[in-house]
Amino acid sequence: MKDSAPQTVPLRPPGEVMRLARMGVMMPTRLSFLRVLVARLCAEQAVIKRTHWGMSPDGHGRAVYAVDVGGHTYSLVAIANDLPADQRSDRVIATAWDAAFVLYDGTPDTAEIDRIATNAPLQEAGRFGPRDLVLSRANKSVRMWDATVAALQNRDQPDRAMIRGIGYLMRTTAVYGNGKFGIADRHLIADRLGLGGPFAVEMLAVYMIRHFTLDLVQHVGGAKLDPQLARHFGVGNATGLGMAPFLVTHPVLLNNWMLARETALARVRARTQLSEAERTRIAELAQRAGQHLAQWHVPAPDHDAALRQLEQDWARFAQTLTALDGAQPMEALWLAARDESAALQELLVALLLEVFPDDVDGLAECMGDPFGALTAPFSGTDTLRAAIDADWDWALAQNYTAPECCRRFWYVSEAKLEPRLGDRFAEPGAELETPLDIARRVAALHADLPAQDQSVSTFLADHPQHAHACARVATLTRYPYAEIRDNLIAATCRPIDMLRCKLSFFGATKFDPKSDLWTRITLAQGAPLGHELSPDADDWWLPVLE
Amino acid sequence: MTDKSWTEIQALAVKAATGAEVPPAQALAFGSMLARHLADGGSEAPLSQALDTPATILALAHQVERMIETASVSGRVVGMREQDPGRRAMLISWLASLPCQAEITANADEVCATLSLSAPGLRARPARISIGSALFEQMQTLAARTYVPDSDASRAGGAGAGLMDLD
Repeated sequence: MKDSAPQTVPLRPPGEVMRLARMGVMMPTRLSFLRVLVARLCAEQAVIKRTHWGMSPDGHGRAVYAVDVGGHTYSLVAIANDLPADQRSDRVIATAWDAAFVLYDGTPDTAEIDRIATNAPLQEAGRFGPRDLVLSRANKSVRMWDATVAALQNRDQPDRAMIRGIGYLMRTTAVYGNGKFGIADRHLIADRLGLGGPFAVEMLAVYMIRHFTLDLVQHVGGAKLDPQLARHFGVGNATGLGMAPFLVTHPVLLNNWMLARETALARVRARTQLSEAERTRIAELAQRAGQHLAQWHVPAPDHDAALRQLEQDWARFAQTLTALDGAQPMEALWLAARDESAALQELLVALLLEVFPDDVDGLAECMGDPFGALTAPFSGTDTLRAAIDADWDWALAQNYTAPECCRRFWYVSEAKLEPRLGDRFAEPGAELETPLDIARRVAALHADLPAQDQSVSTFLADHPQHAHACARVATLTRYPYAEIRDNLIAATCRPIDMLRCKLSFFGATKFDPKSDLWTRITLAQGAPLGHELSPDADDWWLPVLE
Repeated sequence: MTDKSWTEIQALAVKAATGAEVPPAQALAFGSMLARHLADGGSEAPLSQALDTPATILALAHQVERMIETASVSGRVVGMREQDPGRRAMLISWLASLPCQAEITANADEVCATLSLSAPGLRARPARISIGSALFEQMQTLAARTYVPDSDASRAGGAGAGLMDLD
């Protein structure tokens, strides 16, 4: 961190940034949590060590890996199973997986490994303790796995085009942290060096799972992967609706993520000059981004068409990146993108952050929420109304009695205790709606506010159902990026946009939407391998396989 | 008694209060209060009674709102009369579960607090929270009221339904 804060220009307003259409095209940056974690590992020159290997020739059994971070040892216990093909499902309702994992606090002894080996394959049906930090499971990409094993067994290497197209050997279908099923609460490790940031311990588990998948495929194949190819294998992930409500139920965290990112952008835009090295770096990264886009194809025609458009737009826009002159070259560049698509602008944000680590990296320390919302109460209902009028025009503009403005309802399914999204006019259960309809609730609060000013506590005594909306309004006055400024129960609401936003903060690449409700992604693609972690290895934003 | 993580207890308590038809904000605050209360060794009896009579939860929420409102104006010690021992204990836990700093004292019929609304609270949380089976089952039963049973439509509309291209 610097002793004094860098100069900034005004931040982009929340009304521009916090829209689903923009959140749904966000890209990973050097503030993304996996990137921050790997940067930490690189700075510490950490080494992933295999401390136990009990795998059969066909890759079933147990393995344990250890890594030291911030003065603590963490161990990944991996259990690989022989999973019949008819049981392989990415859905959260699955009950069996190719592999199960626990990230353990410390070094597990044999009894602990036995306990984990019994419980981890059960996942949600197992029971875990405070030394179990993360619980996860993964399925093979059967095509990629089989092709890689076959190639290695033939003393060959897997096909590059196939690696570009798939990008992982296994994909996780859940990565549980923070107290779920008895595992450690986040507060138990939140003050540890390297694990203080959001989802840091989950990202450590993902990084170590990637290491395990590479080890396992080389074990079964009986030969070494070319390191360049190995580096391009990440960890896949299939993510559905379960992740979407998090952004609504953690408003302060969402604010802090967005605020860090927007502050970083504002600092970069305020730069008054560029060094020759920085100009060169911008040009290199622009070219890399173009190559990455060219290697990013998805089966869904609409999403692929959007990618091809972005690829084309970027190729045109990147030409402006070679002429960065004048007094404020970064601001001029930003203004040149003003009329470009949101997708191109967000790609540009990610690129600009990549170039200036001194302006950006320290902000990663501000992205957690250790306390909760520290808000002051409104002095009365008139002040509350004024706050709504000032910040919630987007919510007041909707007609929530119109079916298309309230068609969706979020709920928790009895079968798997997972969030789902229903059609209010076609499905049962709307009376049990989860309160993610923030915009509608604030509009209802606004409509019920009294003409005569009174204390908010007096008002809420008569209208306790409005306390939730009142709290959200209070939160937004202090945390300006805390709300998604869209109607989340509108027929047009696409949960995939919420997933894209959250996953980009995780550091995901190669978004591969399968519907409006779920997506595949790749994590850690291009990241240094477990024996390559050094300060000069942290350069893997938007990886490309030549 | 069984040991649970903080998150498990808090999340279940929020769902239980919601299942008892407590509105969302008060249910969220009740969840934080219940975890704090049990972590500090508080009695389970008033928690169980509160879930049986949701008006108690609303009344506690209202008392805390008034104390915060007063604190925001005066910055001095604010007091709230509460003669019922169980409710008094929950009021203390509720104040202790606020995200802000709270210095709390209590006597036989009043709870007093100095609330620093802009300063974060730093109360330690334990690794595990012990909870009796009766309260845990009561909360599970109430929480189950918030879940929507599967239907043909929900199964067909679930994320990933019918779209499993297992590569």
